[in-house]
Amino acid sequence: MNAVDATRTRPALPGAVAAEWTKLWSVRSTWWTLLAGALVMAATSAQLAIYAANGNTNDDPADDAGVVTVGSVVIGSLELTQYAVLALGLLAVTSEYATGTLRGTLTATPSRGTVLLAKAVVAGAVTFGFGLLLGLVGVAAAAPVLGRWGRAPVAGTAGDLLAVAAYLALVGVLALGVGAVLRGAVLSVVVLLALLMIVPLSLQEPGITVLDRIADAFPGVAGGHFMAGDDHPYPPVVGLLLLAGWAVAALTAGRWALRRRDA
Amino acid sequence: MITLRGLTKRFGAVTAVDDLTVDIAPGRVTGFLGPNGAGKSTTMRMVLGLDRPTAGRALVAGRPYRELRHPLHEVGALLDARALHPARSGRAHLLAMARSNGIPRRRVDEALAVAGLDDRAARKPGRALSLGMAQRLGIAGALLGDPPVLMFDEPVNGLDPDGVRWIRELTAGLAAEGRTVLVSSHLMSEMQQTARHLVVIGRGRLIADAPVDELLAAGPAGSVRVRGPHPEALARLAGQLAGDGATVTADGPAGFTVTGAGAERVGDLAYELGVALHELSPVAATLEEAFMELTADAVEYAGGGPR
Repeated sequence: MNAVDATRTRPALPGAVAAEWTKLWSVRSTWWTLLAGALVMAATSAQLAIYAANGNTNDDPADDAGVVTVGSVVIGSLELTQYAVLALGLLAVTSEYATGTLRGTLTATPSRGTVLLAKAVVAGAVTFGFGLLLGLVGVAAAAPVLGRWGRAPVAGTAGDLLAVAAYLALVGVLALGVGAVLRGAVLSVVVLLALLMIVPLSLQEPGITVLDRIADAFPGVAGGHFMAGDDHPYPPVVGLLLLAGWAVAALTAGRWALRRRDA
Repeated sequence: MITLRGLTKRFGAVTAVDDLTVDIAPGRVTGFLGPNGAGKSTTMRMVLGLDRPTAGRALVAGRPYRELRHPLHEVGALLDARALHPARSGRAHLLAMARSNGIPRRRVDEALAVAGLDDRAARKPGRALSLGMAQRLGIAGALLGDPPVLMFDEPVNGLDPDGVRWIRELTAGLAAEGRTVLVSSHLMSEMQQTARHLVVIGRGRLIADAPVDELLAAGPAGSVRVRGPHPEALARLAGQLAGDGATVTADGPAGFTVTGAGAERVGDLAYELGVALHELSPVAATLEEAFMELTADAVEYAGGGPR
């Protein structure tokens, strides 16, 4: 009986993580998502670099951005690229609902919290690593286009890429939590678009201070402040903590939903 | 051992499972029988911790499923064989399951072999699997952790006759090894050949929990088919039998079927009356008939055979 007892007491998380890892890399859609992310990153970085270079060379002095960092261009291109990356976190749970495999997953690992945590670990780690790679893709696309209007100090750019990776990892986990609550991919994407872009943009539109402060608490805006590294309206670390808070809240809500609902 | 105690599940106003108290014992194949919609799948989902009971408990080896950390070592289940990712191969599907419970990779190949899936079939994505192959993959998944308790929900669905025989032999072999084997079906004829013990439910309620032989004995009596060359003589025999309280159903002018009187009685009576017979064959009651009678509930029908 010792073997059985040992099996019973061994923690469930490492196995659950290994299972999620296997599932992620055994479907082709993962690779397509990564490829799509890389292409969008290359295209938007190049496009933003063209805008920056053009602004400095046309006749209108109001356009002059001066010399910009390559890292800031990469960060700017996340606004679009992040949707390809958060699909990784989202699909990890919505595809299980869509295909009915969630029942098998929960049969193998009955603890809902462990299942969701395992998915978060895998989605977070993969989007972080992929975020670093995407950052390099962005630098490679933007730097030659910017030419003399861009600068890429090694330490600063490395910091920017780490910030980009951390942002994408947290947004990936946020998407996972939202997907666990809402189940459907389409509805989840709509809610994520609203959280990351539509609602904060609408709040910022009138230029009213109170609404701006509310918008600053939304995950996309908070992440933006964190990556930009500016001290207004709060230090970068607060932006990081706000975004992390959103991700943790979404995961907690997802665990609550999984526990409460029949699978 | 699977233990159900007052297990109840309501979906809104509908009671899918109603106060079910049953023990599923090891060492034999238990058939879980009931018409479609009787609550078999809901019961199995509650055993697996997928649906929350409205009341009561479902225990495996004395513990609620949700408390098990590595349940594939303790319970193997085939629920919905079609619940596969369309793009993931069968082997990857099993490998993910195995990894989640710390089961070595070689068990994946062993389980695939037991389920009769060769390497080519195991490499196919979920969307390319026939229902029969998906059932076999589901059974391979249930066997992965070599568990002492197995539950198969409608396992013969989509299988060809070879596959049906394979399931029958597989479940019998697993039970002979001392495992608890619960097989649900709405096919009475299949259960008659597969199960030794039956748990019958209808509208979520327990109707019977007894050995197959006992259910057959308690069910409708067998009938006797009678044929002879002289219609008038047969009519005399039939009239006498009906007068004795048996039920006689004509099968054309040259024969009839009688329930409520054994072949001995019919033969003796024919001899006494001087009726020539060309056929006198007892027809055993089937589980199907027993089942119909059990699930007929309070519905009385005139002319029914004595119990």
